[in-house]
Amino acid sequence: MQDTLQTLVGGLSLGAVYALVAMGFSLVYRTMGLVNFAHADIAMIGAYAASTFYLTSQLPFAVSMVVAIVITGVIGLVIERVLRPLENKDFDLMLIGTIGFGIVLQALAIIIWGTTGRAVPSPLDSAPLDVFGIRVRTYDLLVMAVAALAVVSLAYFLSRTKRGAAMQAVAMDHEAATAVGIDVGRSNALAFAIGAGLAALAGGLVGPMLYVDASLGGALGIKGFAAAMLGGFGSIPGAVVGGIAIGVLDSYAAGHFQGYSVLVTFLVFTVAIMVRPMGIFGERTVSRA
Amino acid sequence: MPRSSRPSAPRTALAAAIALTAALTACSAPGESDSDTGSGSGPIKIAVVNARSGQLSSLGDWEYKGAKLAIDEWNDKGGINGRKIELKSFDDQGDPTAGTNLARKIDSENYIAMIGTAESAVTIAMAPVLQQAEIPNITSGQSDGLVALKSPFLFLNGPTSTTYDTTLAKYLIQDKGYKKIAMITNNGSFGKGEHDAFAKAAKDLGVTPVTDQVVTTDQKEFSAALTAIRSKKPEVVFIGSEEVEAGLIVKQARELGITVPFAGAAPQGTPVFIDTAGKEAAEGTIVSSPYLSNDISPAAQKFAAAYEAAYDEEAELHGAKAYDGATILLTALKNSDVATGKKLADAIRATHHDGLLGQFRYGPDGVGITRTTIGVIQDGKLVEQK
Repeated sequence: MQDTLQTLVGGLSLGAVYALVAMGFSLVYRTMGLVNFAHADIAMIGAYAASTFYLTSQLPFAVSMVVAIVITGVIGLVIERVLRPLENKDFDLMLIGTIGFGIVLQALAIIIWGTTGRAVPSPLDSAPLDVFGIRVRTYDLLVMAVAALAVVSLAYFLSRTKRGAAMQAVAMDHEAATAVGIDVGRSNALAFAIGAGLAALAGGLVGPMLYVDASLGGALGIKGFAAAMLGGFGSIPGAVVGGIAIGVLDSYAAGHFQGYSVLVTFLVFTVAIMVRPMGIFGERTVSRA
Repeated sequence: MPRSSRPSAPRTALAAAIALTAALTACSAPGESDSDTGSGSGPIKIAVVNARSGQLSSLGDWEYKGAKLAIDEWNDKGGINGRKIELKSFDDQGDPTAGTNLARKIDSENYIAMIGTAESAVTIAMAPVLQQAEIPNITSGQSDGLVALKSPFLFLNGPTSTTYDTTLAKYLIQDKGYKKIAMITNNGSFGKGEHDAFAKAAKDLGVTPVTDQVVTTDQKEFSAALTAIRSKKPEVVFIGSEEVEAGLIVKQARELGITVPFAGAAPQGTPVFIDTAGKEAAEGTIVSSPYLSNDISPAAQKFAAAYEAAYDEEAELHGAKAYDGATILLTALKNSDVATGKKLADAIRATHHDGLLGQFRYGPDGVGITRTTIGVIQDGKLVEQK
């Protein structure tokens, strides 16, 4: 029982990170109908940026995170600006474009930070809490709290602010949105920037848990993408549920199937998607081209 | 997923993808023309193949630096028979498939010998091609799988996992009297080799591990495996994985409240392991290694000073291994009057070299060293355990 709970705790904190990655995927998808394949590599850049400001410039961790989010937000804006001429014209090229951006970002990371990655020490050095024999890292609690805060803020932004409502309108019908005077380009740019910021949040938070190197995007991306699919692509609550589900599933699979854990995780995922192709919170998907 | 209705879109997408790939690979060197390295003129071409990108790139970096140091020293002394030695580095990204492609490339570009790789899996993947092409290869891999290939063109520049782990098991079980040993290894080529070698060595001494956890090579979160280990209350935990992963395992184990020492082979003696785990978490780690420190012999001190002067960083095991391997290859080239193929392989086998790691005396299996020493990490440094 104790082992089961301990495994659950381990899965939850990584699940929270996957949820953040999935949210970024979903936000861009629901607004533009586009899967941003550069998303995971933006998270990797965010992780590197946060760790650089934290370790090299000795800024406080929270400040480093904010700087990293701003940097990736700008990267998101650049990507959107480059892809904008293709909007509503050629989605395949846009997809390839995002893949290309991902490769460019990896190459950039190697040029800037070199090939060897770095281990980031935890910003909280208080001892792990001991709850009835279950060790809970204080940093894990911080990650979960920040992720929860991000979810609430994003939900509030989308449903309660004018900008957010405009983005929802664009997602539903971009022609009608244009007719009532909403700037679709700006709405898309905002979606990309927020998505990229979420990626940096995920990457920056995961740095002290894992190891930051140019391949970090691969590890985060595939799980984050699976989480978004499982939850229902485009759905924000789906991203949260999917992320936590993948994190916990992964953790239990590692406990029971050891070396075959990745295989088991994705087998379960595949079966789930076959049973419910729309995902848990599947909505009618956006189709724009 | 939204699709464009225009029929030409996939083709455009494909063209764009090809153009992109071409643009990204354009910076790599163009194929070099075949020169007559086999005959008696021109530079002697030696390939170094290693991971120069990705999680294992630090290994590749050390190995390249060690090999280059040896070759630069020989070139400064005038090369071999008046011919310069030309070293070229190839990036296998730690990937066996990329390695196999490189093996063919090395063959077609007439390299007469190869140094590397630091990873058993990649070396094993490359070995058949190199054997067929009769290109001798001095690897830094240590998996017993390398020996099992029985390739007469494959040589190890250090001990095998069996040597590392037999020494370690003897120390843990006989000297320290540990009976409850937990194991955590990864399912990659190195980890599997370590797993089998240590499990066998422990069994021969009458100890069965209390738990045997296997993780994947790209896993970064180990709470499930570590929780299982913690519940068995072991006296020591054996790790069989590469530097970064081993560091993450130790870091997370300490956070989960596992306080017993960890033990392992070469990767646990490196600065990358200590940095990743954190100095406090790595304290007390027991390491079996043929090269514990730069102060162990006058030769090691000289090597460490040269390494420091050339690269402005501290030398460690992998650089030393590659330096030894490169020196053996160069000595064999000199002794055989720059032979190639089978003759060169025979010359390597016949080379007796008193190197940084010990006395190399190659057997028919391609193994030249069969001894390691036990060290313990104290204050972030590996020191010999007497």
